[in-house]
Amino acid sequence: MKQLKVGIIYAVFMMLMVGCSKDVSKPNDENEHEAINKIELVFAETSGATTSFVIEDPDGDGGNPPSRIDTIKLNSNKQYNLTVKVYNIASGVIKEVSSTILAQATSHEFYFIPSGVSVTVQKTDKDKSGYPIGFLSSWQTAGAGTGSILFKLMHKTALKGPNDGPNVGHSDIQLNLPIIIK
Amino acid sequence: MTCLTIFQAKAQKCNLVLSGVVMDASNNAPLEKAVVEIKELGLKFITDIEGHYHFYNLCKGSYTIVVNHMSCDSIKYKLTVQQNVIQNFKLPHAINELENVIVNAKRDLNVNTIKEVLSSKVVDATRGQSLGEVLSRANGVTVLQTGSTIFKPVIHGLHSQRVLLINNGVRLESQQWGSDHAPEIDPFIAEKFTIIKGAGALRYGNDAIAGAVLIEPKALPKQAQTNAEFNTGYFSNNRQYVISGMLESSPIKYPELSYRIQATYKKGGNARTPNYWLYNTGLQEINYSASAGLRKEKYNTEIFVSSFNTDLGIFIGSHVGNLSDLQNAIQLSKPLQNIDAFSYTIGRPKQNVQHYTVKSKSQIYLPNNSKLNLLVTYQKNLRKEYDRALLSNRPELDLDISTTSADINYESGSNKKITSNIGTVIMLQENIWAGSRFFIPNFRTQNVALYSIHNYNVNNWMFDAGARFDYRHLTTYRNKSDSVSAADRTFGNMSGTLGATYKITPHFKWLINGAYAWRAPQVNELYVNGLHHGTASFEIGDPKLKSEKAINLSTQLKYQTDSSWQFDLGFYNNIITDFINLTPSVPATLTLRGAYPTFRFVQSNAVLRGIDFSVHKTLNRSWMAGAKTALLWAKNRDTKEWIIQMPSNRIEGDITYSFANKLLPGAAIELRYMHIMQQTRIPASIADYIPPPNAYSLLNLDFSSEVAVGKKQISVGLTVVNLLNQTYRDYMNRFRYFNDEPGRSINLRIKLKL
Repeated sequence: MKQLKVGIIYAVFMMLMVGCSKDVSKPNDENEHEAINKIELVFAETSGATTSFVIEDPDGDGGNPPSRIDTIKLNSNKQYNLTVKVYNIASGVIKEVSSTILAQATSHEFYFIPSGVSVTVQKTDKDKSGYPIGFLSSWQTAGAGTGSILFKLMHKTALKGPNDGPNVGHSDIQLNLPIIIK
Repeated sequence: MTCLTIFQAKAQKCNLVLSGVVMDASNNAPLEKAVVEIKELGLKFITDIEGHYHFYNLCKGSYTIVVNHMSCDSIKYKLTVQQNVIQNFKLPHAINELENVIVNAKRDLNVNTIKEVLSSKVVDATRGQSLGEVLSRANGVTVLQTGSTIFKPVIHGLHSQRVLLINNGVRLESQQWGSDHAPEIDPFIAEKFTIIKGAGALRYGNDAIAGAVLIEPKALPKQAQTNAEFNTGYFSNNRQYVISGMLESSPIKYPELSYRIQATYKKGGNARTPNYWLYNTGLQEINYSASAGLRKEKYNTEIFVSSFNTDLGIFIGSHVGNLSDLQNAIQLSKPLQNIDAFSYTIGRPKQNVQHYTVKSKSQIYLPNNSKLNLLVTYQKNLRKEYDRALLSNRPELDLDISTTSADINYESGSNKKITSNIGTVIMLQENIWAGSRFFIPNFRTQNVALYSIHNYNVNNWMFDAGARFDYRHLTTYRNKSDSVSAADRTFGNMSGTLGATYKITPHFKWLINGAYAWRAPQVNELYVNGLHHGTASFEIGDPKLKSEKAINLSTQLKYQTDSSWQFDLGFYNNIITDFINLTPSVPATLTLRGAYPTFRFVQSNAVLRGIDFSVHKTLNRSWMAGAKTALLWAKNRDTKEWIIQMPSNRIEGDITYSFANKLLPGAAIELRYMHIMQQTRIPASIADYIPPPNAYSLLNLDFSSEVAVGKKQISVGLTVVNLLNQTYRDYMNRFRYFNDEPGRSINLRIKLKL
């Protein structure tokens, strides 16, 4: 009787152990982040000519700091249409994920806040509710100067409104990008 | 008749006291849970852990005293009371056969440690609350909070892996990597909560640097009993309801068999501060357990399985993306990121935690009253933390830890002056991570321990001495860009305790205890590298950390009345070498998401000392008053600075009025006042985002009564927490940066026994 009982307990134990067995010695790749770790800013002049600026942090949060932050270089007194493209780099594979973020447009918004330079930014795309997104924007530069653009992607599930300030929600991206207007 | 006696009593100015201790006749060990009854008055008292009982306000006269205990024969005693009487009772053991059928009362292995058992009144009053909240009713125990849903017990300023939680004899092994990881235990499972303060719990581990908590269910039923209990509760603040049911039986046909099943369901919505709702602070819990036991002449055996499942919402306004988000959130008196509305919905950020326990325990009776205990346990803990969903709906943190352990233990006979407890524990643990973000590596630990604990009773002295050796082998597996590497660390050391209790009188004891404990650095302290969920901090471990060592000295004076006074005064001094602490460090971690403050695990030498004091006075049959205080000084011995994030000093006072009338037997109303001081003992060199919150005072009201419905007794309770709807923040709540604490809550609870 007792042996039987002990046997049953043992069998239950082994089933639990084996049933859930994953191999501890085969860990996942620590660098594989489901995060945006590359950003491309594509500026198109009215003439159609485009210039791209790239920000990259291939190993994701932590580890090494971002490996590439381009300086945005624009001409004075010009109009540009900016398209933001976001990518995920995992195991060396670069994948554009802009459409994934666009699908969650009702809970995201980009912000471009210039300081030290004279530029006017107008977001030109809208989500289902008619609120701005910022994947597309129009930039009007004025005189020459050097400064920075505070570039943010805010995540605001259930919080997004039509005229949110740049601090509503939490930051999915926040970068201070150097800019030179010639 | 009883009523008449009471009235006579009042008229005669009856103020005599009968008190004493109930002991086991074979070894003079105190007997807990013996029932002492005065037949003529229908008064009953259940002895406490020290075997103590008392009756106040007796009139002169002759009484029949009956003393019962489940392991012993009952005795009847005629007593004449002319003045205050101290009467001790020695209960003879039942005949041997019977004793072996009955599960023996557990021997107390921690005789000479400072401990506190929560009274059944407190256990009843906290039904429906989380384990952390229940335990915080003990003096010297506070909680480390993450919002209104996550509570972690803190003993004498220390928490997490330094506090062992022993749930029904099983050491809880789960994911305790941060302040936002609450223990996975359903308090409804237990009847008794014992808090061991200080490093005395050798039997359960070498690493109880702060203490241990024993969470024990009542023993399985015996002798063809069937009982059922149904508990329900409603908490107005977050509109939370709780239902818990238990059925236990020992079938008439097979009285040696018994079983119990138990389940709890809990659902709560957003909590409300006095001025606004906290969005996404709901919670849901589904827990169940089953146990079955077999009692034979030569052995007894028990199987226990339990499952704990919880979903916890985390306040939306606490969720910050980076340092500047955090600073924006802190600058506000009212949270910026909030929806001021009630809802039961739990969305991201949230936690989903499941914990499973399987336990098999057997006890074999050996000659001379000695026993062999075999305990085999398996635990599995699955923790998923959902942060921001960005590129997929996967949890950011997904950890799966499983623990198997076997414990063989020999207990020498209880009828000798020296009793011994010798055993070995083998434990194997594996953890696997799978989330979209790295936090701690996969690991496997193997532990072996040997221990030997001895108690010696002579006259009014009780001595104990114990030693334990632990060896731990830790292997971690990491994968950086598809290259897998393994690293090994081993840790081994002795730990020990030495203690003595002197009974100055049967009611007045003095205890002294010294313990040496050590704790191997945990995997997170060694190897963590990542964002901590929602805290906007980047944590970095140090693979070179050494073990943490503690020398803990404590002493206690406990007076349990020959009159109506009770007091308990304890001092402790915990000297910790190589104390591992998360400390802010520069530079901040730069990411595409912005900058994060960086925290590293560093070692320093620390000392934590404090005083716990409580006093109670029974004024008369109706009124009782009490007061307590817990004081703590925690210093870094290297820098001479205070240690960050320690509970501030607190005082409490309570007054209880018992209605001694027939309509509401056992009805009582208690008013409790708590004053939590501002924490001023903070390090000058470590900048906090905001200074510790102001001191605050709270008033709580509790009413409880028994109501007879037919032949059934129903216990009802009504508690008002934060009676004055105070707006306050607490230093020990990590969300003090973002929001106020919840406001008033009216809680109703009903217990029905069938």
